[in-house]
Amino acid sequence: MKEGFRQAMAWLHTWSGLIFGWLLFAIFLTGTLSYFKDEISHWMQPEVQAYPLDSARSLGVAQTYLQQVAPTAARWFINLPDDRDPALTVMWQDKLDPGRRGNFIQKTLDPVTGQDVQARESMGGEFFYRFHFQLQMPHPWGRWLSTIAAMVMFVALITGIITHKKIFKDFFTFRPRKGQRSWLDGHNAVGVLVLPFHLMITYSSLVIFMSMVMPAPILASYAGDTRAFFNDVFPATNNAPAQGQPGKLLPLLPMYEQARAQWDGGHVGRLGVNNPSDVNASVNVFRASSDNVVHEFDSIVSFSGTSGELLRTSAGQSLPAIIGGSFYGLHMGQFAGPVLRWLYFICGLAGTAMIGTGLVIWLGKRQLKHAKSGVMPFELRLVEVLNIASMSGLMIAIAAFFWANRLLPVGFAERSAWEVQTFFMAWGVSLLHAVLRRGRQGWVEQLSVGALLFVAIPLLNALTTSHHLGVSLATGDWAMAGFDLTCLASGVFLAWAAWKTQHRAAPQTRAGRARSLTLKQEAN
Amino acid sequence: MLLALLMCYAGFTALCLSTDRHHGELLHSKPSPQRRVGLRAAGWLLLALSIWPAVALGGWSRGLVEWCAVLMLSALLLVLLLPYRPRLALILAGVGLLASPVAALAIL
Repeated sequence: MKEGFRQAMAWLHTWSGLIFGWLLFAIFLTGTLSYFKDEISHWMQPEVQAYPLDSARSLGVAQTYLQQVAPTAARWFINLPDDRDPALTVMWQDKLDPGRRGNFIQKTLDPVTGQDVQARESMGGEFFYRFHFQLQMPHPWGRWLSTIAAMVMFVALITGIITHKKIFKDFFTFRPRKGQRSWLDGHNAVGVLVLPFHLMITYSSLVIFMSMVMPAPILASYAGDTRAFFNDVFPATNNAPAQGQPGKLLPLLPMYEQARAQWDGGHVGRLGVNNPSDVNASVNVFRASSDNVVHEFDSIVSFSGTSGELLRTSAGQSLPAIIGGSFYGLHMGQFAGPVLRWLYFICGLAGTAMIGTGLVIWLGKRQLKHAKSGVMPFELRLVEVLNIASMSGLMIAIAAFFWANRLLPVGFAERSAWEVQTFFMAWGVSLLHAVLRRGRQGWVEQLSVGALLFVAIPLLNALTTSHHLGVSLATGDWAMAGFDLTCLASGVFLAWAAWKTQHRAAPQTRAGRARSLTLKQEAN
Repeated sequence: MLLALLMCYAGFTALCLSTDRHHGELLHSKPSPQRRVGLRAAGWLLLALSIWPAVALGGWSRGLVEWCAVLMLSALLLVLLLPYRPRLALILAGVGLLASPVAALAIL
């Protein structure tokens, strides 16, 4: 009876893992990249200069700019530069339009000169973040699909624990260079050792999705997205409406400082000003989500814009909101400092590796039966093609996205859309390539191309911008330098993986190497 | 976070040594029963104690998250080191134990 139960669980683990494995691999990898969303965006918009932080100066610059350019707007928003994102962005909306979410004008300012920065159009890290849960699909469908994927992931985790009951006994076991055994060891090691993270991330995604799929007001509240403002309208609608009499807006800095004092020195995420030129102007100061592990959806201090008087501070959260907010906060990791952020990143990579090794094991087990005949049945070949395209193909696509960012001309029409197009075209091409090539050669060639693309990124950055490693390291621009170095490391890792794959099987070695070399030249 | 890392890593190494297989691999002998119990107790104790520096520095919410992260990754590091550099894995644990009082002084 007990064995029967475990076999059933093993069956469920095997098949749910296979069917959703490819999708989950992409979700995990892009999600992992999203931990460095701001840093990626910074790399992808090198025109935005990083300066030592000076909130007073930035705030003054933003207010002067908005008063000159949009004095009669209905609302302003100011996002101050922070440790991770050096951009000072201002947004305004000319008229409140309750039915519509958009019609914001957004500008990035230089926090020192106050000039409008002409940064290249790019989605930056936002692309990975969006893809991670929307999968580039029309509105509700991507979210539904990723919700289902998250549920399957949860099922696969639980059944995995039941199936491999020895994993806790073999806690410290990893035996490399033993073929299938090593893959299983690796799968178990990254699965068990990072299990708390896997459970947390999967369960919390269900909590987040619960509020997304059911029509609750907690949409992805994130900078640069119009939906986030829609959330912010909620407290804003409590503010007094415009009276139609002109008024003078006081400097924002004292209010900023008073709000910080209210939070015992907490950080400000964004400022919103309603009816800036009216007597009834009001200023909302939003707390940064990096302050607490528990994500607060609207922690606001409101002021009267003309008298500077403190109107209201938002009350503490209710218990359900704290529980929900802590899952949200843990998942997004916005509170994490640099070290913890890297640990999050490594955990995410471990999750990605767990899914990838699982896919490889599925195929490896079944391939053994057909090793002698050398002919693979169609379904195994299909799995192989999808494995190659979903793993090494995705790496190539990510690298292609970064290449497009540097190579597309700055003034190109629909530039950021073309970057995304490049990502999917590269992915499509690698799928095609995986169909055309035999298994191992497909792996080796794609991994080599990926390695080459990633290794060359620091070089590409040096050739196309003035922010190469020599400059970024010297000026302490860690986001820029870290991006280049991480790309370099990823490239080296892919090269190692290609080399390993190549040398695992003695036959066809020479032919394969020659082919991958020609392909490398083509890529150049 | 450093002290928590050192303690977690040493704790996991002790737990690892308390199993027959790994003790044999690393020290080429079978552990005596007392030694096994001692190592296991020391390992669990170190893991439990490592919560303290994490929480003392980061507060309960942040500290616990950091502690979990350090716990997972120290185990991952140990498991990846064991097959390739077993001696280094042991040396690191020893150095960690020696260095942890210094790191503890830095907190106090």
